[in-house]
Amino acid sequence: MTRRAAPVLACVGLLAVWQIASLALESDSFPTALEAIRTIPDILGDKESLINILASLRRMTIGFGIAVLVSIPLGLSMGRSRAVAAFFNPLLMVVYPVPKAALMPIIMLWLGVGDITKTLVIFLGVSLPVIYHSFEGAKAVEEKMLWSGAAMGLSPLQRLVRIVLPAALPEILTGCRTGLVLALITMITSEMIARQSGAGNILFNALDMGQYDTVYAMIIIVGAMGICLDAAFERIRARLVRWSEPQFDMPLSFS
Amino acid sequence: MAAMIAGASPSLAQQTIRVGWTIPAEESKYWMMRRPAEFPDIGKTYKIEWTQFQGTAPMTQALAAGALDCATQAPLSLANGVVGGNLKAYIVAQHVFEKPGGFSVYWAVMDDSPIKAIADLKGKTVGISVIGGGTQGPFNLLLKQNGVDPAKDIKLVEVGFAVSEDALRQGRVDAVNMNQPFAARAEAKGGTRKLFSLSQAMPNIVHILEACRADFVDKNPEVVKAYVRDITSGMKKALANREETLKVVNEVLKAPIPVLDTYLLKDNDFGRDPGAAPNFPAIQKMLDIYADTGMLPKLDVAQFKHPTIVAPLQ
Repeated sequence: MTRRAAPVLACVGLLAVWQIASLALESDSFPTALEAIRTIPDILGDKESLINILASLRRMTIGFGIAVLVSIPLGLSMGRSRAVAAFFNPLLMVVYPVPKAALMPIIMLWLGVGDITKTLVIFLGVSLPVIYHSFEGAKAVEEKMLWSGAAMGLSPLQRLVRIVLPAALPEILTGCRTGLVLALITMITSEMIARQSGAGNILFNALDMGQYDTVYAMIIIVGAMGICLDAAFERIRARLVRWSEPQFDMPLSFS
Repeated sequence: MAAMIAGASPSLAQQTIRVGWTIPAEESKYWMMRRPAEFPDIGKTYKIEWTQFQGTAPMTQALAAGALDCATQAPLSLANGVVGGNLKAYIVAQHVFEKPGGFSVYWAVMDDSPIKAIADLKGKTVGISVIGGGTQGPFNLLLKQNGVDPAKDIKLVEVGFAVSEDALRQGRVDAVNMNQPFAARAEAKGGTRKLFSLSQAMPNIVHILEACRADFVDKNPEVVKAYVRDITSGMKKALANREETLKVVNEVLKAPIPVLDTYLLKDNDFGRDPGAAPNFPAIQKMLDIYADTGMLPKLDVAQFKHPTIVAPLQ
């Protein structure tokens, strides 16, 4: 009971601190938590806003999906092949620290201002942690297991799929979980400079017009989307890698 | 007629113009976006792919890269594109300018501030919406005329229009620039006063205009003509039917109509030419100010003029 209530209490506490801080500061640009919460039904009740939010989620799903499909095989290959790791590691180290939103104007010049550019920014944001965790997971697989597989006649590809992938799965899913949060962040930041639709459309328009209750309401909505996606993913992760879980349980999410 | 044109020229019928826009103050384009049925050529003679940008500077980049065909521009951002990005473009229409007696971007101070004149800004912290942006040329000029060196005598900080009132009231800045609709809101609340406005540097300052890439215009003159005709018509509709314009702008900006009603298309708003005609002499004067204040090299506005494709087009 306490374990399940803890995340809710944390959120309520955060909202309470926000409410008190806003009342104390008396700033037009910092509405109270209640004012922001009261604006949420207006946003979610507006058909156009929902279309915008769904457009963002569509791009996020595509970007995340492609990133996972590309990054897991690449990370596993890097973890099991020094040559592949030696080739890709320096490239990834160059790209990793670059804020992905900062690439937006450059990518925009190559690919235009449409969905492809924004989806590519999401792809870049998600792929690096997934590659890194897949790489670490594959690297940690015990050699003895691979020798046993080879002795049983498994080809290198079969060993990768039937031994390395399951063994690295807890680490891979940790990367995917980080990637999911980053997908949400890049989903919004990719809409900062140029946009045709999206949740960022609502947020940045409201910011330009000084409608701070809408700005903060959108922050809550995006935060809630993050919590829901993380909780859903955590449930899937827990089912897939139950065997690797420690005996004690720590409430890290709403799942 | 549109159908005849479309039938006569299949390439024209399929043509899409990629247009960049921003908020606020582009009422003719908002009408075209939200009331396309009022513009018979849209969807028949040509199509528009709208993309919203955060300010005019990224649109200059997109124009220079060929990612946009037409876009909203400020005279300074367009000129920067020419100087730094080899952009070649035509100014085909104008959105808003500072008409005499109307709203002019101004710097405000608190009522009880000891700052009574521009010269009193020495040693103070002054807010500006974008450092190096379009308002800084006339701003620098006014400061220099009053014995204040904008580079040495003040601490210039970037404060977006949306938060300028808050920054001033909380004492984070001693003076800050104000624009609509935030100026109307601050004036309604009271406690602030105008120190000086940009109109003191020059009248008829052009804030935003419509520019199209020269290569696109040269290759698709009929399509751009149709687009400029619609901008002209959109401006007329915006000015003729304020009630509907309030609804259109509300749909785009999501700002409540009562807030828009305090200034939009009233005497305390920017000016709009009824035919969306660009004021080339005023733009030239602005380019001269930017050159005099060291923000740009000397530029001739004639390079932005197309002989026939310019608003008003009927």
